[in-house]
Amino acid sequence: MDTAFIVVVVGLSSLAAALVARGRSRRRLRSAVGKTLETIGLAAVFLFLNVGVGFCLALLARVVGGRFVSLYHSDDVTILAVSILQALVWQWSREAEASAGP
Amino acid sequence: MSAQGALRGIGGATVALFAALAFTPLSNGLYDVLVPPATPPEPAAAIVVLGSRVDDGVLSDSSLRRALGGVVLFRQGLAPLLVMLGAGSRGKPSEADVRVRLAQDLGVPATALLADPRGRTTRDEARMCWEDLAPRGMRRILLVTGSEHMPRAAALFRRAGFEVVEAPIMELSSTVSQPQARLALSRVLLRELLARAYNRVAGFL
Repeated sequence: MDTAFIVVVVGLSSLAAALVARGRSRRRLRSAVGKTLETIGLAAVFLFLNVGVGFCLALLARVVGGRFVSLYHSDDVTILAVSILQALVWQWSREAEASAGP
Repeated sequence: MSAQGALRGIGGATVALFAALAFTPLSNGLYDVLVPPATPPEPAAAIVVLGSRVDDGVLSDSSLRRALGGVVLFRQGLAPLLVMLGAGSRGKPSEADVRVRLAQDLGVPATALLADPRGRTTRDEARMCWEDLAPRGMRRILLVTGSEHMPRAAALFRRAGFEVVEAPIMELSSTVSQPQARLALSRVLLRELLARAYNRVAGFL
């Protein structure tokens, strides 16, 4: 029921967005989907990097510093949010660079 | 493949994984594979409650569940000693101390309680507990921790020398159907899978 409810809500809002954007070409829509997937892919890469670096730093602090740092620090949900922000900044900076031209 | 194509592939895979974990029973199935079903607890020499987390004297949800699980087992007469584990920050009460106070408030006599706040990892806890209990001849223990954590914890305690009777506490329902709850379940399982992999690679298991 919960799943169906969310699917219906998202379906309706997507339908409304499609109606508003009626006139736009399919090619542009495909390009937008591609760019969105690219940003999500970047966020996944940043998340992987952040968790990996956090894990290594915690182990380094234990081995070299003799100080206990929990590996669970890398499990904080804010790391996901920050990874998405990093991906957005990266993507927008690339867009700005491309639109500025040579 | 270009970097752009690779990123799109990763992005597509991420969206597909997200949808599968949130909107299908995949995480429920993973739970059933990774977490063995619980068996009824049996008598032992001591009940050992593993640590979870405490913030400024406030036990986390899982810490409280485990502590209460330990108290219930004690009150059922399954062991004469209740060992509360769990570290704390400098200058703040440890998780073990907070749990011992809670157990006393719930009627467990102080003489039947032992707090050990030294362990910061499950492996540490197994070693410290062995130091506490082996000299008293207490080798058979009822181990209390979260269901998903139990296989790793039991293996580490067996490796330390204990005969372990498992008393897992359900900290998450395995039959959740809300997308958000399924994602939470997936996160816990993924974390535990990584912890098991780390322990294996490090040679602790």
